[in-house]
Amino acid sequence: MYEHIAKNRAKTVLIIIGFVFFLSLIGYFLGMYFDYRYGMGAAFSVTLMIIALVIAIFASFGSYYFSDRIVLSMTRAKPVSREEDPRLYYMVEGLSIAAGIPMPLIYTIQDQGMNAFATGRNPGKGVIVFTKGLLENLDDEELKGVISHELAHIKNYDILLGTIIVVMVGIVSIIANIMARLLFFGGRGRRSSKGSGGNIIMIVVLIVGVLFIIISPVIAMVIRMAISRNREYLADSTGALISRYPPGLASALKKISSYSEVGSASSATAHLFISNPLGKKSRVMFKSLFNTHPPLKERIERLNEMSLGILTK
Amino acid sequence: MVVGLIVLIVVIVAVILLILGTGIVIYNSVISLRNKVDNSWHQIDVQLRKRYDLIPNLVETVKGYAAHEKETLEKVISARKLGIDAKTVTDQAKAENMISDTLKSLFAVSERYPNLKADTHFSRLMEQLSGIESNIAYARQFYNDMVMKFNTRIQTFPGNIFAKMFSFTKKDYFEIEDTAARGPVKVEF
Repeated sequence: MYEHIAKNRAKTVLIIIGFVFFLSLIGYFLGMYFDYRYGMGAAFSVTLMIIALVIAIFASFGSYYFSDRIVLSMTRAKPVSREEDPRLYYMVEGLSIAAGIPMPLIYTIQDQGMNAFATGRNPGKGVIVFTKGLLENLDDEELKGVISHELAHIKNYDILLGTIIVVMVGIVSIIANIMARLLFFGGRGRRSSKGSGGNIIMIVVLIVGVLFIIISPVIAMVIRMAISRNREYLADSTGALISRYPPGLASALKKISSYSEVGSASSATAHLFISNPLGKKSRVMFKSLFNTHPPLKERIERLNEMSLGILTK
Repeated sequence: MVVGLIVLIVVIVAVILLILGTGIVIYNSVISLRNKVDNSWHQIDVQLRKRYDLIPNLVETVKGYAAHEKETLEKVISARKLGIDAKTVTDQAKAENMISDTLKSLFAVSERYPNLKADTHFSRLMEQLSGIESNIAYARQFYNDMVMKFNTRIQTFPGNIFAKMFSFTKKDYFEIEDTAARGPVKVEF
């Protein structure tokens, strides 16, 4: 478990470094492109690279400190007070005591689909988000199972990595989009007088641009690998250790599998949820390869094995 | 000859440093586990105190409707006092079991008073109480987990060497008496 936390921290740092490097590179190539098109001079690309580097560093800090709020507003989650739902507060409070972490904040999404996720940058700043559908349809034991699963994500620092990825990938895909537009629909600028040398630059920029367009789906795949389905299994088992009742989560997952779609979820935030919130929107080729979530059937089976293990001990 | 001596000294120093370093790491891990046990005990204490604060309120409310159930009410109060005065984990566990038992008989009594059951203040207190009791159960679970980790660490090699050197002793579990008392008290309205 401590190993898993260390791995999560390392992955977070790696992703931030990759992000900074990526943005700087874009700045550099953009500068080259502008130089070629409008004759800004060779130093312009270096200037632009430094600007991009500074922006990237700020964006990294920003996403470390604010990504949880960004995710909450992206999914249109609203805070719930203790008076509105005392039953939920008691459950979350009790289970976070059992998990040995501070009590997280509780948010809800007005959606009839049954789903939940956790966000925040560390266990002290955890947030658990439930959909209204989940709270209405699950009984106490099932809800405790889901809460324990989310608390496990918080305890394991899965939330930091998962939340930062949402923002960083969002920024990169916006830039990829702009690059693509720039290349294919860019206006006719003044040609630089460098002649054949300019052509080479143009080719490089074109290749980078095309790479970006190809890369976008690859980025999505990388997220899925970084997030890895293993952490869902791990959160299931850590969660069972917190609630001491694996059948609760198993039965919750079974219920959730019938209707887990959440309207305000997107492919950027899908990996955070306990069960795939995109539903039929995500039916693509090689589905199992691109899945962010392990098959529910497999998860339920593993939980059932765990309960058997507890009973026979 | 001189070279051989230097190599020997270096090797000896390296081995000593290695042993010392490992020792420090293990010692620190034992201490951090012990602090975790203390901290998790504090978590139980917080919840127990919440229950102590709630009991007088509850007793007063019941008194308003069922004043002649003196015996039951007094048992609750004396069990609470026992819990507040408890010094060791085992005593505390014993007292808390007693409080849970006396509270259970108090609920049984309150069943006979429809007016009491209809009292909104009473039902709110009961709701709070069942929340606190389930929190006590969770806090106990976490505490016992930590105690198990700590005890295993100081009983197994190489932790046991340090346990002897610095006289670390086994921590007591927070036990509950009968199987019926496992889990929070279910309160039906």
